[in-house]
Amino acid sequence: MRPLKTFRLATRDYFHEWQMSGCFVLALASVLGPMLVLFGLKFGIVGGMIDQLIEDPRNREIMPIGSGKFSKEWMEEMEKRSDVEFIVPRTRSIAATVEVSSENIPNIVSMEVVPSDEGDPLLDDIGVTPLGLDGVVLSQSAAAKLKVKPGDKLDGSLVRRFNGQRERAHMPLKVLDVASPKAFPRAAIFTSVKLAEALEDYRDGHAVPLLGWEGNISMKSRSYPGFRLYATSIYDVVELHEGMQDLGVEVRTRASDIQLVQRMDRNLTMVYWAIAFIGLIGFSLSLGASLWANVERKSKQLSVLRLVGFRTGDIMWFPMIQSLYTALFGWALAVAIFQAAAVAINDMLQSQMEVGQHVCKLEMEHYLIALGLTVGSSVLAAALAGLRSARIEPSEGLRDI
Amino acid sequence: MTENENIPPQSGTLIYHLRDVIKTRESEGVAFRLNVPSLQIAQGEKIALIGESGCGKSTLLDMLSFILQPSSVGSFRFRPQNSGVDSNKKKPKSDDAIDIKRYWDKNKQNTLGDLRRRHIGYVMQTGGLLPYLSVRDNINLSRSVLGMDDDGTAERLAKELGIHHHLNKLPEDLSTGERQRVAIGRALAHTPSIVIADEPTASVDPFAAEKIMSIFLELVEEMHITVIVASHAWQHIKRLELRRLSHHTQRSEDGAVTETVVSG
Repeated sequence: MRPLKTFRLATRDYFHEWQMSGCFVLALASVLGPMLVLFGLKFGIVGGMIDQLIEDPRNREIMPIGSGKFSKEWMEEMEKRSDVEFIVPRTRSIAATVEVSSENIPNIVSMEVVPSDEGDPLLDDIGVTPLGLDGVVLSQSAAAKLKVKPGDKLDGSLVRRFNGQRERAHMPLKVLDVASPKAFPRAAIFTSVKLAEALEDYRDGHAVPLLGWEGNISMKSRSYPGFRLYATSIYDVVELHEGMQDLGVEVRTRASDIQLVQRMDRNLTMVYWAIAFIGLIGFSLSLGASLWANVERKSKQLSVLRLVGFRTGDIMWFPMIQSLYTALFGWALAVAIFQAAAVAINDMLQSQMEVGQHVCKLEMEHYLIALGLTVGSSVLAAALAGLRSARIEPSEGLRDI
Repeated sequence: MTENENIPPQSGTLIYHLRDVIKTRESEGVAFRLNVPSLQIAQGEKIALIGESGCGKSTLLDMLSFILQPSSVGSFRFRPQNSGVDSNKKKPKSDDAIDIKRYWDKNKQNTLGDLRRRHIGYVMQTGGLLPYLSVRDNINLSRSVLGMDDDGTAERLAKELGIHHHLNKLPEDLSTGERQRVAIGRALAHTPSIVIADEPTASVDPFAAEKIMSIFLELVEEMHITVIVASHAWQHIKRLELRRLSHHTQRSEDGAVTETVVSG
């Protein structure tokens, strides 16, 4: 009965003194609002950059410079590392082209051959893997040039000079799917490693019995001039880069870009927390002081409550409940301020951003964290005032004026 | 100071029975001592405590309402009237008085608070109304804290006090005199055993004061509630037939101690 009564009385007092309460709310929002905007900017800018880095598999790619000799065993060994998500061998770049024609266009298009395999991050979003010696995936640009769609048939061919003769071999291909635009910028055909090897073998004058292509019999074990490797996350790239160099493999990565963003994130986070910490302390102190002053101001009313039989424990709740209201309304106002500021900032910078990208934004969890912190520090400050109010003697406020 | 003193009633149940209660206070090198060798107040009595400010009236009232703990207590007994429904069923026995001294010794503030809530009504000098509650809710404050239903008592009291057309207003819309009437209503609404009024009309003009005081005492009598009124002016409550507690104030020779002795 009495806790509910305390709650009702504290509520009525809070709204009766709406001007005073409004001042508290404004004071809170004026600290919290700018803090939210600041964090929104940090989160929007750096978060956007990191998203971009993470989303684009090319940022996780590790490319060897020049050509080396990598065995199948070496690659299998690499694939076992936890920081390596995917590795696929590359055939010699001179051999890695093929001419393709379709029924829909009169001419032949020359395109790069990109060996792929199960789990290729470039084809992750379509979830299709080139299969066997005829199932291929086309890059967007290749599909456009050939005017084909998934399920269409293609004719692939390549030329070699063998025993002084110019020969051309043909193979039937089937379009399994078309990769997303960002997977590969140029006209390319994703094939199985097996088909890429077959093309290289044919170019080298070897026989490819599976496709019925004649030539010399190859005896030596195969090695690859390069590979396409993706780190598990962008945070592994720097270490992988250094690991490769230790193995004597010169590689090219976006490690420096990634480091830059990471450093920026760290620094901005630090700056943000420094400001937030100071802001929060200042806010708690000012709220505590004003609640304390409020208790002093209301000592008479509080001793009236004492007199009609409210206990110490009940009286302590008075400033607590009122500070909860302040926290709640102040937070709501701060969120409104943030929303307005975010819309304005994003609008202003819209022309410089990609579609769907925001300079200033917060997730639901950030709002909730802000609410939690606000309520926490308010209750802490109010506890201070509550202790003061608990110590008010019933006789203290009875005979003033 | 003793010519108006009545003899305390020998018969009847005593609501307060104090013996050798002393409160000492010290401020700025001057000690003040209130000494109550013996005080007996019977149920239904109307008591006046008259004297200049600073003579210890408020100290005594605070002790009688258990807000202020005496420095030393011989005995302090309080027997509230059995109120409400069970008043017919149970005859008060002589030994069911509450030993307040024991609660003080054990520092049972909350128990004292509960006793105060149930049995005491308090009228403050300046009303002490909660500004955020309507007149009706102010009058009902004690009742609702005690979990008593709104049985029309507030309205009835408001009518008798002449403030029923203000029931839904806030205290800030009322005159000082009207606010004091509300305060009286609040002190009576939960039918306490005793109402303690500390200078209830000091902030009101003499004419209104007399009127308020007579309504107050009429109500108290009607409701069979014991009342203790403190006032610095004897004149306007002389006619209201209150028993006046005697008190003497004297200063020690070096001027360091002021002692007031109250008995009755």
